[in-house]
Amino acid sequence: MKIFDLSRRTLTSLRSAKARTTLTALAIAVGSFALTLTLGASNGAESYVGKIIADNFDPAELLVARDESVFGQSDASKPREYSDSFVDSLSSAAARTQVKLLTDADIKSLKSIPEVESVREDITVNFKYITVPGQKRYVATARAYNPYVKPKLLAGKIPPNLGASEVLLPEGYVSALGFKDAQAAVGETITIVIEPPLQGVPGSATKEYELNVVAVIAKPKSAQPGTELYLFSNSSTIREMNDIASAGTNSYRKYVNAYVKVANGTDPAKLKAAQTKIKAMGLLAQSTKETQEFLNQIIGILRGIVAAFGFIAIIASVFGIINTMYISVIQRTREIGLMKALGMRSREIGTLFRLEAALIGLIGGVMGSMAAVGLGLAANPVITKQLGLDDGTKLLQFRPVQIVALLAVLVVVGILAGWLPSRKAAKLDPIVALRTE
Amino acid sequence: MISVQAVSKTYGKKKQNQFTALKNISVDIPSKSVVAIIGKSGSGKSTLMHVMSGLDRPTSGAVVVNGQSLQAMKPKQTDNFRATQMSFIFQAFFVEANQTCYENVSLPLEIAGVPIRSRRQKIMNALMAVDLTDKAEIRASTLSGGQKQRLAIARAIVNEPRIIFADEPTGNLDSATGEQIIDLLMGLNREQGCTIVIVTHDPDLAERCQYSIQMKDGQASPLMKRRPRRMVNS
Repeated sequence: MKIFDLSRRTLTSLRSAKARTTLTALAIAVGSFALTLTLGASNGAESYVGKIIADNFDPAELLVARDESVFGQSDASKPREYSDSFVDSLSSAAARTQVKLLTDADIKSLKSIPEVESVREDITVNFKYITVPGQKRYVATARAYNPYVKPKLLAGKIPPNLGASEVLLPEGYVSALGFKDAQAAVGETITIVIEPPLQGVPGSATKEYELNVVAVIAKPKSAQPGTELYLFSNSSTIREMNDIASAGTNSYRKYVNAYVKVANGTDPAKLKAAQTKIKAMGLLAQSTKETQEFLNQIIGILRGIVAAFGFIAIIASVFGIINTMYISVIQRTREIGLMKALGMRSREIGTLFRLEAALIGLIGGVMGSMAAVGLGLAANPVITKQLGLDDGTKLLQFRPVQIVALLAVLVVVGILAGWLPSRKAAKLDPIVALRTE
Repeated sequence: MISVQAVSKTYGKKKQNQFTALKNISVDIPSKSVVAIIGKSGSGKSTLMHVMSGLDRPTSGAVVVNGQSLQAMKPKQTDNFRATQMSFIFQAFFVEANQTCYENVSLPLEIAGVPIRSRRQKIMNALMAVDLTDKAEIRASTLSGGQKQRLAIARAIVNEPRIIFADEPTGNLDSATGEQIIDLLMGLNREQGCTIVIVTHDPDLAERCQYSIQMKDGQASPLMKRRPRRMVNS
């Protein structure tokens, strides 16, 4: 019998047992649904991570640090060797962690590498408070403005070079500081107070800055979590502020990490050359791409966990297919006998039933993945709104290639599940089969 | 010609459980004849038919069909032989209820690998021979018993076999319908010249066959020629 005729007869047989076919396929559909959603969610997570990275990191920059933990490479289960370059990263003894920091000398030698265009220490300054005359005082944190990042502005404009007394104010502080709206805040002056952590350190004293708000930035939806309320200012101002805020501590003029901009760094070869030289200095350097890959690895682990549940559902459904196929073989015993009497080969009989099992797998797979895609497309706007993500962000993204691959796997699963029943069918003695009532 | 040569068939492996269904049977069935195998149930008539058609293997002896020994063939060749040269009609019809008449008749052609474009004509011819042309696209489940057996006959003749084996073809039918089926089989034999071997315990049917073989306790009588029955009763 030709494969076309076999397939047609398989379809007829499945159609004549619609309820049984559908119910068996539903079991597979559950697994297929879970796996399609998992794939969709991890695609979405990866592209979301990609968007965050693209919005916040310059691909021509390298993230440079001395401490492995910055890159998530330290293993907390193993004893860590002490190093004299360790510095307590926090002043609170309760939350004390020791990290190896970059020094000014490191920054200087980084700058001396020919491929390096500029170096930006990653400084985060905690103010004592910020305020506006007649308003409440608020704690706040600031960072040096990175011209690569283009935040969404609610009002005002960012000048090409942010001036030493200019500041970008996040949306969250607008009403807190008593401004009517974002527009009203632009051009106003805010007072920033910085206090040295230790008293009596020579050359350090509490200092007040009067900074001019040039723009109000919208609450960034694809920012690194925890940085939503950061103020941004000119890098030399931030450095000066940091000197006060860390005066007398052992993290004075020391940095957890720095961003090294490589000249023509979008060229992977140039980026790699600079990275090699930085590593030769005993420092760690990671490109934006590597950071993204590292984050994707974490997503991959999560995906694996969820996918495992989908696979368990599919394994459970395999027994459903086996059972259904045995019933099908028993129900069609006389038909098998007739076909054998009419000269159909055992192998073709086996193929007939394996095709049936494969089709059940395919039908279940299609039902599940279509349901998942449908649900995903419907749920995307809701999820985006609920999580407060940027408009147009799709956290469930489906790729046809993956779905086709999944369906192919399910067809194979169906064939494997149909193996024993189809063997039983192929081995039936036609005389016994024809005698069955 | 089907030549059955000293065929024995024994079931059971242990001596005390052994049952001999066929005891050293030798019989020649001439081509283009209609032969009835008659006997009580358990006499071995169905087993003889299965052995003659190659569905079952004899414990000893040989079956030679048109000069070819079925026992010398590989399973694949036997399958092919059955697909192209033989056909079956059963007491319980064995038509697929949820398929159309057309699909039912198409099955032997598909098994024999007949190309799809030459099937339609053959199927329609077969349906015409049994007067079911108007039922081609109707599901077999809606047919009456007699129509189902006619459909089974259409399926049996569609690939123009040289031998048709019929196992109690009238057993599930009332006598009037049974009579029609017998007429149909006899007509096929006359018009298409195929050999028909009928297993039956219906004396009416046996009486209309050219030859008969009487089976009893696994032993067969020689081929007996019957004179044609008068068409008018009393």
